This record gives sequence, C-alpha cells and structure tokens, in this order.
Amino acid sequence: MYTFALYRISDEFLAQDLVQETLAAALKSKKNFKGKSSEKTWLTGILRHKIIDSIRKQYREPIFQDNQLDSRVNDEIFDGNGKWITGPAKWASNPELLLEQKSFLNILKKCFHNLPKRPSRALALRELEGESTQTICKVLNISSTNCWVILHRARALMRECIEANWLAKKD
Amino acid sequence: MLNHWMFRCKDISYLISQSMDEKLPLRIRLGIKIHLSMCDLCLRYKNQLGIIREAILKIHDEKENDFFITPLPDQTREKIKNLLKNH
Repeated sequence: MYTFALYRISDEFLAQDLVQETLAAALKSKKNFKGKSSEKTWLTGILRHKIIDSIRKQYREPIFQDNQLDSRVNDEIFDGNGKWITGPAKWASNPELLLEQKSFLNILKKCFHNLPKRPSRALALRELEGESTQTICKVLNISSTNCWVILHRARALMRECIEANWLAKKD
Repeated sequence: MLNHWMFRCKDISYLISQSMDEKLPLRIRLGIKIHLSMCDLCLRYKNQLGIIREAILKIHDEKENDFFITPLPDQTREKIKNLLKNH
C-alpha cells in the first residue's frame, strides 16, 4: 500500500499518513466490508480515494509556479523555427528489449520520482489511474489546455531525464 | 494550402503528447502523419514516448515484485501496529 501511494504522490510523509488514514478508515467501517471483493482491493480502493482527495486539496490554489520549466522544455530543444536543435537520441537498436532491462526501468522509476510535483501528479493520474484529462483538470484545478501542457511537459522531462541517465550508463 | 498542413517539430512534440490523451480532429491527425512520414526525429520522439508509457505500466503491473517495493519505515510500521492493537 505504501508503494502504491508513493508512486502516486512521491511524498514519503504524506504517503505514510495516507496509509495510516486508510487503515484507520477501514477499521471504522469494517462492517461495510461485505467480502464481495478481496480485502486488498477494498483497502486499495479506500487508499485511492484518499490519494485523489489529498492531491485535490493541494491544488486548491490555481497558481502556476513552474512556468520556467515550460520555457526550458521548449527553448533549449527547439530553434527559432521550431526545429529540433539536436533532437532525441537513439536509445537502442531494439526498443522492445528496453522494457526487459531492469536498469532501464530503474532509471525510468527514478526519473518519474524526480519530476516536479504538478507534472508528476498529472502523469500519475493519467498513466497509473487511467484518468481522462477532464478529471485531471478538475483534480489539479487547472484548465484543459494547461492540463495538456503539463502532461506534455511531464513526458518531455521524463524523456530527457531517461535519455541523459540511460546513455550515460551505456557509455 | 500546403502550409496549412505543415506543423513544426515543436508543435508536433506537443501534439504527439496530446494525441496520447485525446482523440484529435482528423485534420490534425493527418498533419501529424504527414510530418512523421518526413521527420525521423519526431518519429523517434513519438516512439520514445510510447516506450515510456509502456514502461510505466509495466512497472505498475510488477509492483508486487520486490525490485520495485519501497518498504514502509519502521517508525510508521510501529504506529500502524499500535493503531491495530487498539481496535
């Protein structure tokens, strides 16, 4: 449960609190547990709600603080005509094999945890929870355009981070 | 007219990400397709984002695997034990 929470909010203390809150809530309402699903599914369901609530609380204030990141993502990789300056590097001759390599997955995991908060939350909601951008906008309290920009930025940063660490490792 | 169809790499990198979240209008989908057929770097970018998506899901599915488990700190573990005892 802790790992599950940590993946979604990448804040150790908050994740620990949420696990505790979940267990406390589960104990309180154990009468409601009908045994229709496994205990694990039931607990994960409670935890998932707690996570989404906590993300929602965090983003009540609709201030955009990571604008610098936006220009970094775009200005350093594209020239004035919107063309790649160096462009993405080749990762492997057979991309499918990358998914089998633990060292690659490990780098990806680290990069995921190193994302700035908002892009990281957005990407977790999108890729791990499979939420629509509509829901993500609501949870993060942002417009749909901002939502696409944030997801785009999250992916661009992930890609950049993986490339830097993966190619450094291979050399 | 041709210009109308042409996207810059910078736009394409954004649209590739957007297309992973939404179904884009036909005109834009075609514009992306045309660009990708001519631009190896953008095609590579698209494939890499695809790999990242797949890899995140793979890690997610394998979270039972020890390799990806982050253990709960002992202090918190104690707190939870106490919480359970009091019930």
